[in-house]
Parts: sequence; structure tokens; C-alpha cells
Amino acid sequence: MKNRASSHLLLLLLIIIFAAIAHYAIYYGGLIRGYETSTLTAVRNLGLLAVLAVLPLFLTRFGKFQGNWTLYTTAVLMFSIGLTVQYRLFSDDEYISKEHKLEARQQKIATQQMHYIQENYPADKKQMMGLPATPPSPVDLSKEKPRPSKVGLTDILTSEFTLIPLFAIFCMTATIFLMKREDVLRFLQRNGFFVVLLTLGPLVLAAVTSHQGKSIGNMTPWEPSKIPFLVGFAAVLSGLYKNLSQTYWGIPRAKDILPMVFMAAMPFIPFFLLKDFGQMMVFSGVYITLYLVAVRRLPQRVVFVGSVATIAVTLMLAAMPASVQIKVPLLSLVAQPIKTYLLPRRIPQRFHLWFDALNPPPPDAVWWKGDLVDFYWKQYKADLIERKPEAKPLYDEMAKVQTESAKLPKGDVQKKPLDKRVSELSTEIKKIADQDISDMYALTKGDSLPAGDETPTQDEDVINARQEDDKTVRETKEKLKDLNEEAWFGDDALQASRATFGVSSGGKTGRGLGLGYVELIPVADSDYVYAAIGEEFGLFGGLLVILALIILVSAGIRTALDARNMFSKLCAVGLTAFIGFQALVNIGGITRALPMTGITLPFVSHGGFSLLTSFVMLGMLMALSHRNAIDHRNDQATVTG
Amino acid sequence: MLILLLIDWQKFRPENWFGGQILERTPAGLSLVYLFGIVVVVALLVLSFVRNRRTKFSFEQSLPKEVRRKLNSTATNRSLRIWQGVFILLAFFVYGFHVYWAVLAERDNQRFQELSSRDLRYRRSTSSQLRGWMFDRSGKLDKALAYYKKAPDGTIDRAFSLDREMSQLLGTEIGSPGLERTLYKHVADPMPEAWEVLTKIKKPEDEQKDVRITIDRDLQAFAGAEIKKGGFKRGAIVVLNPQTGDVLALYSEPTFSLSEVNNNDDMHRLEMNKMDKPLLSRALREFYVPGSTFKTFTTISAFRANKQDAILPDLASCYVPFPNSRPICDAGGSCEICSPSVPIREAYKVSSNQYFAELANLLGRERMSETAGRVGITAVETPGEALTQGYFPDIWNVSNKRIAGAISPIRSTIVTGSKLSLYDTGLEGMGQGLAGQMTPFQMALIASIPANLQGNLMKPKIEFDQPPQIYSNVLTPQQAAAIREIMATVTEESGGTGGVVRSKLAGTGIGTGGKTGTAEKMSPVYNADGTLKTVTKKRKVNGEWVEYQTPVMIKRTDGWFICIAPIDNPQIAIAVVVEDIGRRFGGGTAAPIAANLILKARELGLLGDKYKPATATPTVSKKKGR
Repeated sequence: MKNRASSHLLLLLLIIIFAAIAHYAIYYGGLIRGYETSTLTAVRNLGLLAVLAVLPLFLTRFGKFQGNWTLYTTAVLMFSIGLTVQYRLFSDDEYISKEHKLEARQQKIATQQMHYIQENYPADKKQMMGLPATPPSPVDLSKEKPRPSKVGLTDILTSEFTLIPLFAIFCMTATIFLMKREDVLRFLQRNGFFVVLLTLGPLVLAAVTSHQGKSIGNMTPWEPSKIPFLVGFAAVLSGLYKNLSQTYWGIPRAKDILPMVFMAAMPFIPFFLLKDFGQMMVFSGVYITLYLVAVRRLPQRVVFVGSVATIAVTLMLAAMPASVQIKVPLLSLVAQPIKTYLLPRRIPQRFHLWFDALNPPPPDAVWWKGDLVDFYWKQYKADLIERKPEAKPLYDEMAKVQTESAKLPKGDVQKKPLDKRVSELSTEIKKIADQDISDMYALTKGDSLPAGDETPTQDEDVINARQEDDKTVRETKEKLKDLNEEAWFGDDALQASRATFGVSSGGKTGRGLGLGYVELIPVADSDYVYAAIGEEFGLFGGLLVILALIILVSAGIRTALDARNMFSKLCAVGLTAFIGFQALVNIGGITRALPMTGITLPFVSHGGFSLLTSFVMLGMLMALSHRNAIDHRNDQATVTG
Repeated sequence: MLILLLIDWQKFRPENWFGGQILERTPAGLSLVYLFGIVVVVALLVLSFVRNRRTKFSFEQSLPKEVRRKLNSTATNRSLRIWQGVFILLAFFVYGFHVYWAVLAERDNQRFQELSSRDLRYRRSTSSQLRGWMFDRSGKLDKALAYYKKAPDGTIDRAFSLDREMSQLLGTEIGSPGLERTLYKHVADPMPEAWEVLTKIKKPEDEQKDVRITIDRDLQAFAGAEIKKGGFKRGAIVVLNPQTGDVLALYSEPTFSLSEVNNNDDMHRLEMNKMDKPLLSRALREFYVPGSTFKTFTTISAFRANKQDAILPDLASCYVPFPNSRPICDAGGSCEICSPSVPIREAYKVSSNQYFAELANLLGRERMSETAGRVGITAVETPGEALTQGYFPDIWNVSNKRIAGAISPIRSTIVTGSKLSLYDTGLEGMGQGLAGQMTPFQMALIASIPANLQGNLMKPKIEFDQPPQIYSNVLTPQQAAAIREIMATVTEESGGTGGVVRSKLAGTGIGTGGKTGTAEKMSPVYNADGTLKTVTKKRKVNGEWVEYQTPVMIKRTDGWFICIAPIDNPQIAIAVVVEDIGRRFGGGTAAPIAANLILKARELGLLGDKYKPATATPTVSKKKGR
């Protein structure tokens, strides 16, 4: 395999063929469960891959592209895997539908049951069931009537799933054409600072208007800002790296280090506001990489790595429960205030999910109790009323007000006070539920009875009453334990546990396309896409994704190695590290090697801005690779000339 | 053209690409092909990456490799290479966790195994395979107890022909499991991996998953109506085959319908009904005072000790176990017929309390406790232990422990500790006092011992195909026959307390034996709205008086009848208990129900062909036509 567009064209064709096979497998798997997957969507997916397969021809002909094709083909491979998994998920009504989830599930189960009956039940049994009395016979799918797919041609053409990838491919091509020009690169290198400042403005705006880490619907429009931040940092660092080597005990001079620290701190501000800790982790990883690559002296690296490790350990410690914190001397002094003032409530939860997701936390954990109470009053209405009868009128009133409110049309003026009343009532009920949980926990935490009560007695009533007390404590304990576990796996740990079960059920080779239950994993198309891969392709499929990632990263590093100036080198390694770390943080979150954060798997996950960013990053890497090839050829020419 | 026609196109259909037979093979096989394809692509990519190494300058090519390497290794590039290595290590570190969850966790992580029930996948894949059907002892399709039917909306629903009468035995999908969730073999691996689908599973499973249980559908349905028909709100019926241990009917009133339990709220409502406790199988899990029926146990004990003919001294007046003790008398004072030296036979027939109290003390608590162990009763030391002995799954003759767990009775207990007075043990001998923790199921087992021709206690069984097993040998065949003869006096001789049975069975030629019982038990009172009626009392906690609620208890009378039929070769052993019979006796309340059950069993042919009515049973033929 030479680095010729033609040989990679062959690879790309192979990818298309195998993707087509996978799509057919999904189609067939859908038929087994009684629904038809959309042929149009399949054609669209293969069409997208075809566009990507033709693109090298275009780039070589019109762009005179000479860079490394391995980068491109590997990314396309990952993209094709992503398309396959998404085809699997989005053709399943149980996964996409919001209102008809249950119906879709029932229909699937009924279809499989009918298949089972047809294959196994003798004629008389079928007759008893009210079915035509036929002897057991193999199922013939071609004679069945699966639920047809509702996707039409206009749906496909206007779907974001078509337009966003096309736009991403277009942006990638544009980036290649733009970035392979030397003047553009030079401009970026000189004005890195302004690039960052210009990005910061809209970004902070987006961050302020965001809601729960999302903006404009379900989008993350700050995703592309990673690129200018990186370019800016690389530009500053490439200007300073020589000065940075003048160190005192491994610490560079302040006038050299301060601009760099400033540039490095920039992206953390908006992402901290957004509470996007996954991106912060990736950013830290990338900037650490860049610094380590740029500086040359060993003491400098040792000091840097040492301080980074200290900070990381302190932060981790801050997120741990207090019982762990007190075990570590000195550091806990710093960690505790950080926990109180700096770390958001969500972090201890993420850490618990990371280390101990299978065991629910104690009901009084600060970050957990609110969710537990919510779950309690919403899901266990009867239990709450039984224990706290004063909740009953509130529930009744709430139901009444809700039905009234539902009767009114949307946007009615009268709706507002009703809705307000509902929220007031729910706060009241919540208070009662909160109190009840506290009571239950207080009862079960201590010994079953006060010590002084154990005076021996012959009075049968007293003995009975004591036994009754003991029984109450035992039952309450049991009840609280069940409730806590139910709430934990039904709420906070729902995603994590379902993903873990998915990965686990995949085993070595996976359940096969269309044969697993990936529709049970929440957000399996984007954040949890690796869990879906793990379930239907197994360990083996996971390994292939990891290998593809390693190839992509290695090709990126090759680009950095071949680069002739520091700026290009840092840009290349930065882009590579972005893609690589983001993938690791994502996969690690699902396999629970790292805490789970809501970031996507580059090229594989379904996404709007994240997919766009990944493709633009790929375009930049390819452009840098192209520059290397041009430089190389010029060198050759000089030497031979 | 001809050649094209000759080709069997059927072979090329997608179903047959990977060997056919199972539909899942096609997508599973295609997935593996896809994975293999990706392997090829990845391999080619690695190749393209490795082959694509470029030298910096063409003059380098003539230099030795060592020198070329050094020229390229600037400090920065070295860092880049190290970073690349670190990244690859990190990637495999992260992947290592995937290996853990996919392969090791199922084996090593105990908590993970415990939680597997929370995985919806298992439920999904088993629900699509359908359970087997459940048939009654006839095994006929039209007598299915649990089967599937197609609902109008197209879903396949589990249906039950006796959804009210069998509900406590079958159990719900939500609460603790019953037969429905334990009787069927677990599908070995409902979630095979793709390669297993291709290689291991050969064809659609043709294993017969249907099960046949020992319950007789018609008898169970009949039993379900009898208690109410007799005018009682609560009660229990157990019908066993004493020779094999087959459970023919097992019913407890009040019950619930399986169709009314669809979600957690329904379940909660049933659980909260403390007054009726519809979820509780009274036959298996409620303690009753056995009353005089327990004299059968004392009789068995006496025979085992060979004291059945012992002459008891104190029968002329009331029995006084020890000086200054309260006397134990019969209803009409002392037992005249028993006096002066009357066999056990007469005492059993008229149900003499004072005789059996004295007999129990003659036998002594060691012998009583030894017999208790033989017949499945747990003998405990102190009254405190009597109510907390837990379940007794080992009594069942089952193929799978889970089945026994699902329908296990609670352990019936008798207190035989050394601290008991002779008065206490005397009361136990007549079925009162500290012998008051018997389940109807246990009493049916006691009745089945003399009914067994060999004098064995057969382990009860619910699965039809399970071979009979002996729990213990209690009596010799001769002793068993002797006790049967004694039991027959109650129903067959004039003056016996169970004479109603004889009049009901007149003309059928069936001889029976039995024992009536009437027992008083303290039970809580309920308000009209179903809540427990309580009174407030005070007690001292840490030196302070604390108020607490204690339930109001009143005395309730229960009527009992245990019975065996036909007496020459018993095929059924019955225990019937009905609660709150007012001022009546077991002989007038529970005995007629037992007699009706015997008549029904005769009609169904359960007593053997000898006793079957001459006309063909109309119910069966009617249903066949349906």
C-alpha cells in the first residue's frame, strides 16, 4: 500500500462494501423483530461514504494534494462504523420514539413471540390460542408484514443526518484548501493571540445563554472553538519555546511563562461556566502535551509533570467522599475547601459513578438526597401516603390541577397560575418526602432500640410492643434499602448501569447487528456509542475501534514529526491529541476507566458541531501533512538541483 | 438459460446464507463478516502507514541506518515519540476495562452478578421466547392451567384458567415468585454471542417446555367454591394423595385474581389489605390451633411408642396433671366411656380431651418431639422460638429448589422444652396450648401418614413427572392399618363426631376415616375500614412512660376436619379449616366440605376406577367439544 490516492480509493471502496453488508444485516435483524429499516437511509449513508470515497480524486486532481492518506482513510473508517451503529439505533422505533416507545417494544416482543409459536407450537395449541392451526414450520420472513419505515425522500434530504455530514465534509475540504497555503499558516502563527480573543467573545455569550451544558436546542455550538484555542496556544508557544528553556530550577522566567499561562487559562473559563468537565479534561491533556513537546530540558519537564500531578491528585481528592479525604494528610487541608467552594455538586456523583457505580450511596449523601427524594415522591406515591398521610390531599390537589391545566390549550393565560400551583404543591410534597427519608434513615442508622429499654419484663404486651418495634426497624431498613437501590438504578446510575450491562452482554464477538438491545442504552448514538459498539460488536469490535484510533493518532504524530517548524509541529500534535484524548475520555467513561463525561467519540458519535469539529480538525491535519510533503519535495529539488 | 432454471434459487435466499434453520444466523453471520472486513481494512491501513515512511533528504538514503536515525531525532521529535507510546498505552489501559466488563465481571464480580436482574436484556430475550404451558394432572390441552392467548390488539398474553383459585400457587410477576416463575427451566443462555449463534445453536429448540402439575383442575376449581358456599369468609383446603404425595388441590380463601395485578400499585393495594391478606396462602403459611385433629398426631406417637393399649389411671374424674394443677376435662365432665380401661379407639371417636392429655404425658415430651421430627413438625425448646422457625422448603419433593422455595410452607412447631409443665404437655396432646402452630398443609400431611399403606410420610410433590419420595417412615403397615380403623370410627360409627360424612357419602360405597376439630385462637379485630383496631397502652422506656398501640384481640373459633378416603386404600387425604365458625363445631362446618370434596374426587375418578360413578363424567366430554 503506497500512499497513492488510488490504493486508498480501493480501501475506501472496501469500507463501502462492508458498510453495505452491515446495513443489510441491520435490515434483516429489523425484519426478525418485525419492523422494516429505511432503505433510503441506508442509501443515504452509503452515499455519504461514496462522497468521501470520491473526495480523494477531487483533492488530488484539483488540490494537488500530496499529504498522508492514512489519516483520511482511518477517519472515514471510524465514520463508517459510526454510521452503521446510528443506522441500527435510529431505525428502531423503541429508541427514537418518545410517545410510542412502549408500543414499539410490545410490537417487537409480539413479533418474536409469534415467530416462536410458528416454529414450535403444534397445530392444536395454535388452535387453542385462536390462531390458524398449522403444524410447526420455519418462519418465512418474506411472507411477513413488518411495520414499514416511515422515512420518506424529503425527510432524508432535509434531515440533519444528511446535511451536517455533508457540511462537515465541505468544511473539511475548505480547510484543506485554506490551510495548505503558507500565508494562512503564517498569519495564524503571528496573530494567535487575536484568534483566541475573537473566539472568546461569542463563546462566553453562548456559555451564558446555555442551559445544562446545551444551547440552541440540543447543540453544543462551542465545540469548534477548540480549534482557534489550540491554534492560539500553539502560536504563542512556538514563539516562546526557545525562551522557555532558560530556566531556574526548572521554572522558566515569568515574562516568558505568563503569556503562555494566560493563553492556556483562556478556554477553561467558558468551559468551566458550561460545566463541561470532559472538555476541560481534554484541554488539560492537550495543553500538557504541547508544553511537554515544546520544552527541552529535563528538570523543566519534571517540575511541570510534578506540579500537574499534584494538582490532579488534589482535585481528585476533593471529589472523593470525606471518609477518604481524612485519610490523606496535608493534601486534604487543601482539598476540603476546594470541594466546598469550587467543585460543583455533580462531581462527587460522577466520582461515585466512576468508582462504585454498582452500589448506591447512603441516602444522606448531599449530592444524592435530592434525586432520591424526587424519585421517592414521584414513583412511590402509595408508599409515601401510607407513611405520611398528610401528603394525600396534596397529591389529590396536584392531580386535579394538572388535569385542569392539561385541558387548557397551550399558551392560555389561565395556565400559568395553575402550573405555578403545581410546582408549589410538588415542593410541598417534596418536603414531606425529604422529611420521611430523613426519618427512615435516622431510624435505621442507630441501634434498633435505646439501650435502657432492655429491662427484663414479664409483661406480654411490652414484649409484643418491643418485638413490634424491632420488626418496624427491620422493615424500614429493608424498605429504605430497596428504595435507595431502586432510585439509584432508576435515576443517577441508569445510563451508566445500562451501558455497563450492554458492554457486558456483548462479550467477545458481540451479539450481532440488530440482535442486541442497544435501544435500552440512553443516548447510545452519541455519548454512549461505544457501549452500543461493545454490545453488538463485542470486545473484538471495540479493539478495532481502538486500533483505528491508534492508527489515526500515529498518522497525526507522523505529521508532527515531519513538520518543519515548531508551529506546524505543535498544531499537528495538538490536533492529534484533541482527537485522541477526546476518544479516550469518551471510551474510558463508558468502560469506567475514567469518570463519565458527556463528550463524544470523534467521527463515530452522531453529532452536529462535534462532527463538524472533528472533520475540520482532520482537514487541518491533512493540510499540514500536505505542507510536509511539499517541503519535502522542495528539499529534494534543492538537493538534487 | 436451462442451467439457470436448474439452479435451486431457494439456496441463495438470505435465510440460508449461514446454514439456515435459525433466522438470527443471517445478521449474526453478516456482522462477523463485517468485523472481518474491518480487520482487513485496519490491516491494510497499518500496512499503508508503515510503508509510507519518508526520508527527509534523498542523500540520507545512502547513509547507514544508525546515522539516519540520529539525524532525525531532535529533542522535540523524541518527545513526540514518547507521547505516542504513552497514548497507545493509555488506549490499551482504557480497553482493558472493556475486557473486564465483557469477560471477567460476569465471573468474578459478585455484586455485578447480583445485579443481573436489573438488566432488562435478560427479561427481553426470555419474554420473546415464551414460557411453556402448564397442564393439570390430566395433561390434556383443554385442561391447561396456564397458557397463551392472542389478545385482540395482537399481543400474546399469558392466560390462566383458574386465575383466582390458583393465584397464590402461581404467584404474580411482580411480588415474590410462585410456580409461574420457578417451574420452567431457565433457558441456558438466552443471549448468545454472534459466533455462538453461528456455531453452537443447531436448530430451533424443540425441547418440550410444557409442564404438568399434580393439581386436578376440576377439583381445585371445586375447592375454590366450597368455602364460600359453606358460608365462611376465610379458610383453607389441602387435598393430597397419601400414596404418592401428589398435591391434588390447595386453596385458601380469601384469594385474589391474577388478572387484577398488573402493576406495582395493584400489588401494593393487595399487600396493604391486612385484614384479608389475599396474597397469603393460608394453607401453607398461616398458623392455626389444630384442636382435636391433633389427637391424630398423639395417636401416631402412641403407636410408635407401642403404648396404644396402655391403661390410663385417671379417667374416672377429670385429669389433674400434677397436684394443684388446673384439671383437664371433657365437655361433659369426665370421660365415662373411656373409663375404666378403654382403648384409644373410643377416646378418639368421641374426641376425649382428658384421655389424650393424659396419654401425651404418659408418652413424655421426648417421644412427642421425636414423632414431631418424623412427621415434619419442628420441635422447639421455648415458646419464643415457636413462631420464628422460618420456611420449610425441604418437605417438597421437587426437581428444583426454586420451586420448593416458591411454595414452601412455614414450619409448623410444637414446644417440647424441659421447662414445660405437665399441664402444658397435656394440652399439647389434645391440640391446644403450645401445639397451636399448625398449618393446614401440615395437618394434611399428618392425615396422610396412616393413610399411606406402608405407614410412610410421602414428600408432597407438585410436578407430575417427579417420582414419589418418602420423607420418613413413621409407622409399620400394621400400625397404619390400625390407626385407619380408629379414624374410621369417627365417620362410620354412630356417635362419631364426623357422622355427617357418612350420610353425605351414603350409597357410594366409599368408606372414610377422619377427625374433627374445633379450636379457639386469639385473633386481632379490624375496624370497618380494614385497619387494625388498637388500644393505647403505656410502658416504661428509660424510666419514662411511653404510650404505644397494641391490637385488640378476641377469641375466634375455627372448625377443622382431616379425612382420608377410601378407607381400604386411601387415595386422598384432606385437611379443611374454616375460620370463625361461631358456636358450631368442626364436624358440622368443615366436615361437610370434606365430604363434598370426596364426592367430587369420586366423580373425577381420583379415588380409583372402583368407586367411579357408572355414568361417564359429563364435564370432560363437554369441554372436549369446545
